[in-house]
Amino acid sequence: MREFLDMGGYAAFVWPAYAVTFAVIGLNIFWARRALAHARRSALRRLESGNAPP
Amino acid sequence: MNFTWFHRLGSPPYTYALARRLTPWFAWPAALLILAGLWGGLVLAPPDYQQGDGFRIIYVHAPSAWMSLMVYTSMAVAAAVGLIWRIKVAHAAAASCAPIGASFTVAALVTGSLWGQPMWGTYWQWDPRLTSELVLLFLYLGYMGLRAGIEDTQRADRASALLAVVGVVNVPIIHYSVTWWNSLHQAPSVMRLAKPTMAASMLVPLLMMLLGFTSLFAALLLVRLRAEILTRERTSSWIREALSA
Amino acid sequence: MATAGAYTQAAAAVPVSALEAVSLALRRDLTLAFRKPAQLIQPLAFFALVTMLFPLAISPELSQLRAVAPGALWAAALLASLLALEFLFRDDALDGTLEQYALSGQSLTALLCAKTLAHWLLTGLPLACMAPFAALALGAPSAALSGIVASVLLGSITLSLIGSIGAALTLNIKRSSALLSLLTLPLSLPVLIFGARATQVAISGGALIAPVELLAALAVLALTLAPLAAAAAVRISLE
Repeated sequence: MREFLDMGGYAAFVWPAYAVTFAVIGLNIFWARRALAHARRSALRRLESGNAPP
Repeated sequence: MNFTWFHRLGSPPYTYALARRLTPWFAWPAALLILAGLWGGLVLAPPDYQQGDGFRIIYVHAPSAWMSLMVYTSMAVAAAVGLIWRIKVAHAAAASCAPIGASFTVAALVTGSLWGQPMWGTYWQWDPRLTSELVLLFLYLGYMGLRAGIEDTQRADRASALLAVVGVVNVPIIHYSVTWWNSLHQAPSVMRLAKPTMAASMLVPLLMMLLGFTSLFAALLLVRLRAEILTRERTSSWIREALSA
Repeated sequence: MATAGAYTQAAAAVPVSALEAVSLALRRDLTLAFRKPAQLIQPLAFFALVTMLFPLAISPELSQLRAVAPGALWAAALLASLLALEFLFRDDALDGTLEQYALSGQSLTALLCAKTLAHWLLTGLPLACMAPFAALALGAPSAALSGIVASVLLGSITLSLIGSIGAALTLNIKRSSALLSLLTLPLSLPVLIFGARATQVAISGGALIAPVELLAALAVLALTLAPLAAAAAVRISLE
């Protein structure tokens, strides 16, 4: 296990690389879902207020 | 050839419903492929005889770089479709691609730089791949900047679509000139991806990661596309039904 | 602006051949530009200024400057031509002439080609004439000068053409200079690379034919494709 975490001495490079990539993946998922939720909310709000022009 | 599927995709309510149904079909395989690729790449694959365990960065760098280029191409194709056939949904798809592609370009640059330090001894090297990635980032930023700068949605769509098409034509030219420039100046150890000579145990996880990331892109695109369609079609009558579903 | 109106009226009232329309557009732009000579000098002054930055920032030693001369020269040329791009379509977009061009029934591509040619004659060509002086100031040997002029001449054609696309796309955007640079610079990188290489070869006295051919190839490619893209972009911006 320690060997795995140590990555043959390259740990300082390998793990941050993975961290950054998965952070980007996570952010993308978060942003996409947030964009959809926001769009749904604002569309619903418009419908409730009687579909007034923007 | 029957092109009804193409024209049906041009209808926002149809594509919205389709996107909703298809998303899990890309999201779950993406998760599985990425997890399997991680397992294969981090645990199962043997260390490289030259780079030791440091080569494992390839399992995040290569897919990120692949994403950055593939997403740009997809964006340009969607933009071209929107421009030629005047299909709003295509423009919405192009707009959805941009932030995804830009963020993975950043990931490719950071992981490439982190790979460079142990391999070349420096965090940055003006090698063709990294330099081209940097230029690609600017192309994305330019696209998003142009979209943001034009208020009218239709004009923003068409202007940025033209920019995307011009950009995609330029990408091979830029890549060629950067490669040529780099070869002149005898760059030291160029980061080799050693594709054909990779052992199967190293290659298979890489392919799984590439596929997984691609599937992830599809899922992300579908979610963002729904958001775009909702925002653009706010005033349409089909929205009520779609939202209550 | 009576002459400008007369040109536009002449184009609308009498059916004009494509060649006549193009030469009218060209002459109009040149005439109008020479009414404001102060505006013409600005990009050239900027070029000289940026060239001057390098010795001040690096070292007065010509031998040291010679090493960075190609890069410095081309960076300055690129930035100066970017600055000049703002003048390409702005006035015509503001006073409606561009719309007239689009509606005139003449090929918008050809008319924009004429405008870009005028723009190049007013900025790129003078830049190419100034380049040898800048190069000398940065330590280039005199034997290199003809090669440098040739490369800047060819490169500036491509820069003007590529720039016309970005300028057309950002027509209606206020304060668009940063965006224009962001759009144009990545597309101009091949010109920078080949042009600086040509300058490098000229300074070291090597065979210029290969880099100059590359620059010429870029110019031909830009000449064929850029006006089409610029015309499409103008139509989009005027919608």
